[in-house]
Amino acid sequence: MSIVVDSFRAFIAGIRQLPRKRMTMRYPDVQTEMQSYYVYDPKLGVAKPGYKGRHILWLDKCTGCQLCSIACENISQAIEMVKVSRSQPNNKKSIFPQVDYAKCVFCGLCVDACPFYALGMTEDFNLVSTTKKNLVYAPEKLAIPPKVTRPKVEFKIDKDVAYHD
Amino acid sequence: MSMPLASSGLQTAQVAEDKLVVSIGPQHPGAGHFRFTITVDGDTIVDVAPDPGYVHRGAEKQTEYRTYLQSIPMLERSSLTDVTNIIGPYSLAAEELMGIEIPPRGQYLRMIMSENQRIMSHLYWLGIQGIFLGHSTMFMWPLGDRDIFVDLGQMIGGARITYSYWIPGGVRNDMPESFKPRALKVFDYFETRLKDYERIFFQNPLFLKRTEDVGVLRREDAIKLGVVGPVLRGSDVKSDTRIDEPYCFYKDLDFEVPSYKECDTYARCMVHLVEMRQSMRIIRQCLEKMPLGPVRVKLSPQQRTNPGEAYARVEAARGAMSFHIISDGSTKPYRVRISVPSMRNLIVLKKLLIGSHVADMPAIYWSLDYWPVEADK
Repeated sequence: MSIVVDSFRAFIAGIRQLPRKRMTMRYPDVQTEMQSYYVYDPKLGVAKPGYKGRHILWLDKCTGCQLCSIACENISQAIEMVKVSRSQPNNKKSIFPQVDYAKCVFCGLCVDACPFYALGMTEDFNLVSTTKKNLVYAPEKLAIPPKVTRPKVEFKIDKDVAYHD
Repeated sequence: MSMPLASSGLQTAQVAEDKLVVSIGPQHPGAGHFRFTITVDGDTIVDVAPDPGYVHRGAEKQTEYRTYLQSIPMLERSSLTDVTNIIGPYSLAAEELMGIEIPPRGQYLRMIMSENQRIMSHLYWLGIQGIFLGHSTMFMWPLGDRDIFVDLGQMIGGARITYSYWIPGGVRNDMPESFKPRALKVFDYFETRLKDYERIFFQNPLFLKRTEDVGVLRREDAIKLGVVGPVLRGSDVKSDTRIDEPYCFYKDLDFEVPSYKECDTYARCMVHLVEMRQSMRIIRQCLEKMPLGPVRVKLSPQQRTNPGEAYARVEAARGAMSFHIISDGSTKPYRVRISVPSMRNLIVLKKLLIGSHVADMPAIYWSLDYWPVEADK
């Protein structure tokens, strides 16, 4: 008897989901609201919460000290210091970090290593490329803030239903 | 003599008149990168030979070439469903060697992330257990709901899975203000959802038929074989590192440790379900009790430790995870020994499978929550 009752209850639990709204997001057409940049405050010794996507480099603050490159050693060797034709009084050698996203693991420990507020991580995660060369971001390319063009949807959650608007 | 079956590509070998050796894995969907050979007599398994080691990457040796901070992203990748808990004991042991004290808010944030990770890991486990038993709804629902907890982890950790959040010296960042209302909403939703799970899966007569009195691991055998985590608690032993050797602030919190007298696959499944509820209860208490203040002690990236040894243990999603670090006082550890719960639970596979039917093999195998990448390190 209880086999019949329990089977029926399992069936009803499935049926009750039918009128509910869709949980999945239509990704390439829309995108969720992302957090702000992940940045580190070397004076306080703690970071600000944010999404760890591709980097952003504030060129005028970078002194070419290579600490980000040293931090990435033994993790993924993704950061290489390259020479840029740009005269800057606080960067005599004019060397800036270049990130290879084919190697980067997005741990953000390079951001924690920067003592000059020059490096941060943005919410941009769309780093798709058909060639490996395009994944190498030169310092000038890292300095451009990302642009999100997709319309944004909110993920709503109620007491018994979670759905994308 | 080996003869591939044309239809499935399965490798078999006849060992006796009535016995056959069947190789399972290493590309078996669900089993992960793990291979075991079973000897079958008709429908009954008479011998099992587990063959782990396909994804061995030498994590222990690799830590010797990295500073204490640089090992974190590498160690996380050993156990992708349970990243916070695998670097937990490593950080605790390193902090003991460095002789530093973590601020209370940092400890509470560690507990929140650790419990959130436990729910995610258990939901992943539940999805695979569902599909192993042919219940595809129970594959879709937990993996869908897991995404909500991934989002919660992302709010604090800043990444989907590998956040490198719990590091020697505290945690990377404080939590955003929007986390608390969001988390409470998610827990209200997930508690009603767990009732749905019970109705459709855990009280489902078909699930009961497949798991009750299947793969029975008696209490004395479980203790003798040294299993840990949900497998041990499913065998009627109330053992939990969070209670036996409290780390962080677990001793101030109020939660239950489930254990079941049935000792079968069903008991092990129920332990996972109850633990998800208890984890939510822990996070609720943490959010209430959390003091304000700093979350991290500032350390040099090339931080040196005192020479000596340290051992730390935490309760990971699959059981007790422990690290033993020996330091010679330099910036890098001299030797690191990792003891992972998956490897310790693998030993019972040989005990449980012998004598059971071939059809019960997926249910028994996955109820141990064996994660090959974690076990091979």
